[in-house]
Amino acid sequence: MKLLTCPLNGPRNISEFTYGGEYHPMPDPNKTDPRQWAEHVFFHDNEAGIVTEWWCHSASSFWFLAERNTITDQVIRTFEASELFNQRVDFAAESGDNS
Amino acid sequence: MTHVNSSQPAMQNQRRSPLYRRHTELKAEFESLGDASLVSRYGELAAEIESAAQLGLADLSALPRIGFKGAGAPQWAISQGIKLPESPNHSVVQDDGALVGKLSHQELLILSDLAGSSALVNSLEPVQIESLKQSEPAAQTYHLPRAHSHSCLAVTGTAAAEMFSKVCGVDLRSHKFAQGQIAQTSLAKINAVIVRHDLAETPCFYVLSDISTVEFLWDCLLDAMQEYAGVPVGVAALRSLAARG
Repeated sequence: MKLLTCPLNGPRNISEFTYGGEYHPMPDPNKTDPRQWAEHVFFHDNEAGIVTEWWCHSASSFWFLAERNTITDQVIRTFEASELFNQRVDFAAESGDNS
Repeated sequence: MTHVNSSQPAMQNQRRSPLYRRHTELKAEFESLGDASLVSRYGELAAEIESAAQLGLADLSALPRIGFKGAGAPQWAISQGIKLPESPNHSVVQDDGALVGKLSHQELLILSDLAGSSALVNSLEPVQIESLKQSEPAAQTYHLPRAHSHSCLAVTGTAAAEMFSKVCGVDLRSHKFAQGQIAQTSLAKINAVIVRHDLAETPCFYVLSDISTVEFLWDCLLDAMQEYAGVPVGVAALRSLAARG
C-alpha cells in the first residue's frame, strides 16, 4: 500500500488523496499580461526531479503541499500551505477591458 | 428540548432521517425530538442494550449539530464560551454535554448530546448565525449547516474497532485511538469523520458522512457487522449505556 502523510491527518492510503498540480508562486497580478497568467494557471513545467505539488486529502478537504521527486516518486516532505501563504492577498478592483 | 415517546410510524410533518425507510422495515419505534423523529428502539430494550454493548449501529441523524469555519472561527467560538480542544482532530465535551471537535485549525464541529438538549447547539443555531451574517467579513467566521449536509451514525460496542478494520484504514483500537480523538478518513470508500465518544465504559464512534451517502454506508456497516452479531439499535439503548457510568 502506498502512503502519503497529510500534515493535518497523518499517514493515509494514497487513495484518500487527490493531486492538484504543480505549485508555482503567483506572479504580481498588476504586472502580468494574459499570456503570463495563462502560463501560471494552465502550464506545467513537468520537470524531472524534485518538484513542489498541491495535494488534497479528500476526506477532510485539506489542501497542502508536497515536495516529491518525480524520477523516484519519493515524497521528501509534506507541509501546510500556511508555510507559504501567510498573509491575505487582496486584488485591486480595476475596470479592465472585458472584450 | 424534550423528547416524547410515540409509537411508530414517525409522526406526520416531522423531519425524518434519510434512513427512515430502513427503520420502518425494521419496525422501529420512533420518538419525537424537536421537529424531528429519532429511532428510540427496534425491539425489547434490555436485549438492545446488550447488543449495543457488543456491537450496535444507531442512526443519530435527527440530533442537532452545527459547524463553523474560517480564520476567525476559533476566536469567535471562545468568545461564545465554547471550550476548544488544543489540537485539530480532537474533541472536548462541554458543560452541557455537547461535543466540540476541531477538524482543522480553522474548522469546528459541534454535536448535541444524546437527549438533543445541549443548550450550546440549540442556542447557537438561530441567534449566533444571524449575528455572523451581519458581522464584518474580516471576522472570517462562517456557519456550516452540518445537520443538513451530514448524516450522523453511531457504532457502539466492544467489537466496534475490530469491525471497523474491515472497512477503514485507520486503526481505531482503544490504545491507538483514544477517547475524544477524531479521524477524517475513508470508510467503506465514503469520506467520513469518525469521532470517538464513549458511552461510559462502552466504546462508541460517531460517524459523520455526506447525507446523500448514508443509505450505502448503513448497509455496508451492517454487512460488516454481521460476523460479530452486530444489529441496529435505538437511541434509548445508547442513553442507557451512557447512564451506566
